[in-house]
Amino acid sequence: MTVLAHLLLCVLAFACLALAMPRHQAAVFGKGLSRAASRSLRGAGWAGLIATLWLTIAARGCSLGLVYYSGCASLAAGIVFCSLVAHERPSA
Amino acid sequence: MGLLGARIVVAIFGGYALSALASVAALALPLPTSQAVITGMLASFLVYAGIVVWAFLARSGRGARQSMSGLHTWAGLLAGWLLYAMFLTGTVSYFRDEISQWMRPEIAHRQTPPDPAAVAQRIADTLRIEAAGSPQWSMQLPTARSNVASVFWRLADAAPGQDAYETATLDPDTGRKLAARDTLGGDFFYLFHFQFYYLPIVWGRWLAGLCAMFMLAAIVSGVIVHKKIFVDFFTFRRGKGQRSWLDAHNALAVFGLPFHLMITYSGLAMLMTLYMPWGAMQAMKTPAQQQALNAQLYEFIQPGAPSHVKAPLARIDAMVRQAQARWGRQDVLRVTIANPGDANARVAVARADSARVSMSPQYLLFDGATGELIQAQDRVGAAAETRGVLYALHMGRFGDASLRWIYFIVSLAGTAMVGTGLVLWVVKRRRKLSDPERPHWGFHLVERLNIAAIAGLSIAMTAYLWANRLLPLATPHRAAAEVEVFFAAWCAALVHAVLRPARRAGIELLWLAAAAMALLPALNALTTRRPFWHSVATHDWVYAGFDLTMWAFAALHAMFAICAARHRPGPQAMRAPRVLEQESQAR
Repeated sequence: MTVLAHLLLCVLAFACLALAMPRHQAAVFGKGLSRAASRSLRGAGWAGLIATLWLTIAARGCSLGLVYYSGCASLAAGIVFCSLVAHERPSA
Repeated sequence: MGLLGARIVVAIFGGYALSALASVAALALPLPTSQAVITGMLASFLVYAGIVVWAFLARSGRGARQSMSGLHTWAGLLAGWLLYAMFLTGTVSYFRDEISQWMRPEIAHRQTPPDPAAVAQRIADTLRIEAAGSPQWSMQLPTARSNVASVFWRLADAAPGQDAYETATLDPDTGRKLAARDTLGGDFFYLFHFQFYYLPIVWGRWLAGLCAMFMLAAIVSGVIVHKKIFVDFFTFRRGKGQRSWLDAHNALAVFGLPFHLMITYSGLAMLMTLYMPWGAMQAMKTPAQQQALNAQLYEFIQPGAPSHVKAPLARIDAMVRQAQARWGRQDVLRVTIANPGDANARVAVARADSARVSMSPQYLLFDGATGELIQAQDRVGAAAETRGVLYALHMGRFGDASLRWIYFIVSLAGTAMVGTGLVLWVVKRRRKLSDPERPHWGFHLVERLNIAAIAGLSIAMTAYLWANRLLPLATPHRAAAEVEVFFAAWCAALVHAVLRPARRAGIELLWLAAAAMALLPALNALTTRRPFWHSVATHDWVYAGFDLTMWAFAALHAMFAICAARHRPGPQAMRAPRVLEQESQAR
């Protein structure tokens, strides 16, 4: 279960990072966000990634934690990517 | 083309020569000799990658990115088909034990593994008869994931050129030969992944090493080419032909980058004593020195000189119990016995790889005649431990089922990365054909081989599983016959890809793969007593999971087939991204 929690945190962090980018803001909100909003999203994303790294290592120890974290991060980036692709799909 | 050929030759052979020299130069490091040898081996592959990159950068008269783009294209194309097969068979090998369980339906599902000590004794009793006279036995004990014991023993009088080892799969409960169909199980995919089949083992491993080196070069050059790595993060432009394929390739490559780097480098490190033996040959001249190096790398003990005085083997279970007391009940994986039945017998009981992120050899060494503990190897040097960690990271045998699924999915993404790269080569060049109706032979060849390598492999792997259920149990050399079905199906897919129009061939083969996968659970239900509903009812998640995974893969292939059928290259697909255009102008 902890895996799912860490995965979810990574997904949220990557979603923040993606929404900090003008291209994806346009796709999701239809318009760009203010610079301050983008910056806080980027900050939240990075903070989320670092916090999850810390949580995973705390839960599983250094070596196993790093492996789980790398896997979760890769998987989470893929999930965010696929969600954006699905969202951008023209509703045909 | 002449210059390109020269660069490739310099990169491969010059790169190897210089990295071999570097591995020997590492002996000068102020380290214990065995650690210096291992450090040299580990570093040599990085040196190699650096030299390959340099060979393509030097005096190219083009920008660094265009040189790297050339390297990326050629490394990817030359090794691409084999890399794709290595990636996919390697990916499924994360479930090697589970595939083996599925392929031996006669062996009942087991919730808890048997006591390793009792099993080891039973197996030793069998080997005493079956492998009489052999100087070396090795057994891998059952685990929570594997319900059989695998053994091999060295043949005492193998003629040169013959197999030096005999292997067998034994029943842990009786110690006798397994009462199950003759099959290689998941081991076939695992072994194919790094040594292929039909080739002599050493050649196969060298070929796999060469492919891995190409992969390393492709990764490094790919990162340099893809300078907008962060700007393009999460970007996918749909329905734009080449641009879409490139976006998908980039996304798959970037998200899995830590995995791709780790898997490629660790793959080389696993077989480094084969690829880079020069430092060891230089520094380890006496048998004692070689043994010291081996002890840092392997848990197999090599047989020393026998005394030729007969002495019965002491109780193996007692030795395994000592190891269990030290590491844990299930934390014993392998028992190797050298010179059994001799007064000079040695028994090594090695620690399992499921509870630590390292495969460095940790074992207890016993006197086989008296049963006394001679030595406990709990740690190895820093360089050897580094290699042990790389080994473990590659195999992913530690951790729980969730980690295995993560490995599986990320590795599948790596497979898709290689596949999209191959498709990209064709998509990119199709635009530039002077006469799209009659492409030149190189284009034709790559396009057809892509179809056979990607869709054909899915069919071949599924055919192997079908053969496991359909071949009569009495077929002579049944395990080998299953593998022959694999290659026959692959060849048939190639023939189909050559004979049919390319687009149609791809779609048809994808549908065939989807159908074969979707029907496999039905075949299993008809030919065994373990259909899907039964597996779910008895909480047999290996079998239920296998069926579900097959349906998921069938859906994936059907989706690819539908996408391929729907896609018509429109005018918007003709606009190439700028980088690629520059690169094509430069060539």
